[in-house]
Amino acid sequence: MRARHSLYWFTLPALLVIGLFFIHPIILTFDMSLTNFKGIGEAKDVGWSNYERIFSRDRYLQEIWLTLWYTVVVVSALTVTGLFFAAMLHRLPLIRNFSRAALYTPAMMSFVVVGYVWQFLYSPLNGGINVALRDLGLGAFEQNWLGDPALALYSVAFTQIWMFTGFTCAIFLAGFAGIPEEIGEAGRLEGATSWQRFRYLELPLLGPSITVSVMLTTIGTLKTFELPFILTKGGPDGATRLLSIDIIDNLFGQYKFGFASALSIVMLLIVLGVAFLQNKVLRDRENAS
Amino acid sequence: MIRSLTAATTIALLLASTAAAQTTLDVVAWKGNEAEPAGLPELIEKFEAQNPDIKVELTFVARKDVDKVIPPRLQGGNPPDVTMVDSALVDLWGGAGFLTDLGTDSPWYDRMIPAVREVMTSDGEIRVYPLEVIGMGNFVNMDLLAKAGIDTAPVTIDELKAACQALSAEGIAPMIFAGGFPAMLFVGANGIDPDGISPSEYGLGERSFVGDENFNAALDGVRDLVAADCFDPKLQAGLDPWATAPQEFRSGNVAILPQGAWNIGNFSSVEGLNFQFAPMPSLHTEHGLALDLVGPGWAIPRDAENLEAARKWVDFFADEENLSVFLTAEGAYSPYTGGVSTMPDLAAPYTEARDAGSLILWPFSTLEFPKPLQTEWEDSITGFLLNIDEPNEKTLQRWDDTVEDNL
Amino acid sequence: MSLSDAHPATRARAGFDWDLIRRRGKSILVHGIVLGLVAIMLLPLVYMVMMSFKTSTEIAQDPLGLPDSLYWGNYMQALASMGYVRSVLNSMGITISVIVVVVFAGAMAAYPLARLENRISRVIVMVMALGLATPNFVTITPIYVIFRDLGLLDSYLGIVLAFAALKLPLAVFFYTSFIAAIPIELEEAARLDNCNNWQIFWHVIRPLLAPVTATLSLFVMIMVWNDFIYPLLLLTDKDKLTVMIAVYKFVGNTGIDPTKLFPAAVLGSLPLLLMFAVFQRKIMAGATAGAVK
Repeated sequence: MRARHSLYWFTLPALLVIGLFFIHPIILTFDMSLTNFKGIGEAKDVGWSNYERIFSRDRYLQEIWLTLWYTVVVVSALTVTGLFFAAMLHRLPLIRNFSRAALYTPAMMSFVVVGYVWQFLYSPLNGGINVALRDLGLGAFEQNWLGDPALALYSVAFTQIWMFTGFTCAIFLAGFAGIPEEIGEAGRLEGATSWQRFRYLELPLLGPSITVSVMLTTIGTLKTFELPFILTKGGPDGATRLLSIDIIDNLFGQYKFGFASALSIVMLLIVLGVAFLQNKVLRDRENAS
Repeated sequence: MIRSLTAATTIALLLASTAAAQTTLDVVAWKGNEAEPAGLPELIEKFEAQNPDIKVELTFVARKDVDKVIPPRLQGGNPPDVTMVDSALVDLWGGAGFLTDLGTDSPWYDRMIPAVREVMTSDGEIRVYPLEVIGMGNFVNMDLLAKAGIDTAPVTIDELKAACQALSAEGIAPMIFAGGFPAMLFVGANGIDPDGISPSEYGLGERSFVGDENFNAALDGVRDLVAADCFDPKLQAGLDPWATAPQEFRSGNVAILPQGAWNIGNFSSVEGLNFQFAPMPSLHTEHGLALDLVGPGWAIPRDAENLEAARKWVDFFADEENLSVFLTAEGAYSPYTGGVSTMPDLAAPYTEARDAGSLILWPFSTLEFPKPLQTEWEDSITGFLLNIDEPNEKTLQRWDDTVEDNL
Repeated sequence: MSLSDAHPATRARAGFDWDLIRRRGKSILVHGIVLGLVAIMLLPLVYMVMMSFKTSTEIAQDPLGLPDSLYWGNYMQALASMGYVRSVLNSMGITISVIVVVVFAGAMAAYPLARLENRISRVIVMVMALGLATPNFVTITPIYVIFRDLGLLDSYLGIVLAFAALKLPLAVFFYTSFIAAIPIELEEAARLDNCNNWQIFWHVIRPLLAPVTATLSLFVMIMVWNDFIYPLLLLTDKDKLTVMIAVYKFVGNTGIDPTKLFPAAVLGSLPLLLMFAVFQRKIMAGATAGAVK
């Protein structure tokens, strides 16, 4: 028994690093959230008033909902596109490796680069997308992609989906690879169509991949700020102001570090809560099937 | 792979050792990179030639990242020797005691333009050496205007409306008016009367925007521009004022772009782009209103390691000959009286308005308008453009709320 | 290899028949459609590369058209002033070091967590989850202060540790689920041979971790390559700067000029994409499996 417990020494390096760079800063952030700290100089204690402000104003609750909605849109779209490409490529070994790598490429670019490239694609006057639509004779479909409040959030989401489809696709392909050959073979012999095989044979076996993919993309998307920050800065008029954008604006636009820290703690709790809930639901579902 | 790491380390060590005998002056600025050199590479060379024992290491940090990167260094007692600051940073960092007093007895202090001196001095201390006052107004593509039969840049509202109508009749997009910045310049130029109410009255909450005659007129003025076909208000929300909007002007797709004079260098490098820089048409003046932004300056952090060398750096810029290199590259005016003119001819319309005294200091750059109001202007003016028929009150009330929140 | 080749069983019953031809046709069609979709996904990147070869006049006049000729001027200008090679070497050195740290510390921590299911393990996992959930822009100021106190500022060691911390929680999760799936019998055999914990970990467990390690390395590579706030904050020495800093410095952020933006973007991403292309089989093949098992 002693020998087994001594195994815990193995976690020491990781715990040290995480303690130093995450736990300690989080504690400091929480301390800061109870002050009116401006990012520099003296901080004055203000008790829980930063938190009171968050929960007494519609603005922040709306931002929380917007963040959750954005995450739902991105994560479900990523799951569907990833599954689609993975299911297709699983059936097409000839082009599988090439396509997987090609789809993954956007995920390797920096957010800043992707953000600016899409800024030029979305531009309403001579942006790549509108010009392409015009050239194809589809001028009627031209849109003010980032300028229309009803559309902007989805344009930003689309960019994020574009960026990470290859990521979810790779995870699902690995899941497909883990499905024993005989299962597909059996399905084929019984005359099941490609869709039926996917729906009734493969999908249930992809449970673990779906769990991993959904968890990772959810956490990543909840924390996102780079793309909306570069594409819209939370605009037009707040239509894409996610919680993270407001944190950045409070930190660096207005130097309200104390308040921004409180928002960050709220955000941290949301991320943890969602992750916990998801983990439970997805694992239960996995076990049930 | 370990080998390449070792190689990289070795190179670093080699490079570091050659400079060991000297003082390395650690300077942080949001200018001096490729996109906006501001004459700094040239000036650094000259400075190093004059001070062979000092090696200048200029680190480029974009303005928005300065807020993330520098405060930890100030707080941590390990700041750069010299850092670029604007009035907001002087207020924040200086107010917290992290910047040294450069001394109101410095020879350049008395030469400073009084309005700038007033803004930059606090608690009897001057914590910044101001480098520039930079204009904001309309970039006007003269070739496009000529196609519509107009040969001077519009400086009154009527001229602007006439130009818009003529341009749009020719099928040329007259104007960019993105809410994030260009539109703010027009609203500011029309809301603030240079001879009337001081912007600080609004900023301090002594006077409200709602019901204010000037600002109501400014928003109505925006509607007049729309009626004159200057721009499609809904389209403007989709343009990024810092990326796609300047590109439209650079490409010659639009005739008028409200922006800052810091773009002069970049636009001048575009072949065949024939443009002028003009003041913003305003209800309050016939000359057009020059919007001067009190630009950045140098500050020496309290805990700077090489205080003496940092002083030399600041004094180097106090030499008019050196400062004018910076100003010429920037397309900016000297914040000191009696400075030589460094502006290119294409900015003549702007300079004329300035010389005629038709001038305000941009209230966001003097902190007369509080910083959160800037974000609110960006948002709410975009909102206004999206729903241009809604009453002014809706927009103006948001400004009052923001000011009140900030008090 | 097409669909029908892959399954000789289904083909066997056909001699020469229309069914086979129909199948072949359908297979070609499906391949075509999927490749077409993949190509559409790549269009924005094609756009980026195309733009990087245009003169400013071409960009202005025909934003979508192919450039008349490959104009290298933008690249020349970028290469001349970015300090490119140096920054690429720095980024590679830092990336590899971070991978080493993350892989070792991560795998080591995961081993006991996978093998001992009890309260201590659950607490440690919770702590790791906290790391995974923290948005890193929140912790900038405290991290700087910690680095200063430890004397890690402006050192490669410091930046490597900072980056390693960001991906370590993920590493622990990946390795934990992967090791949990390794049959315990393998270890028991070794234990009978009187191996200690470390020897078991090193000789039995470690060699099995290759697939997860590959995936993890990819994640680390992407993050280290693209982040620029940490290097900006923690490194001041010009000679230590990373690729993305070079890109960022070159492009600036007021008045983004496409003739600067696009070539710098391509140059900034290219080494990473090349590394990926070279190792992609290794990384991807058994790869993401690690996350899933």
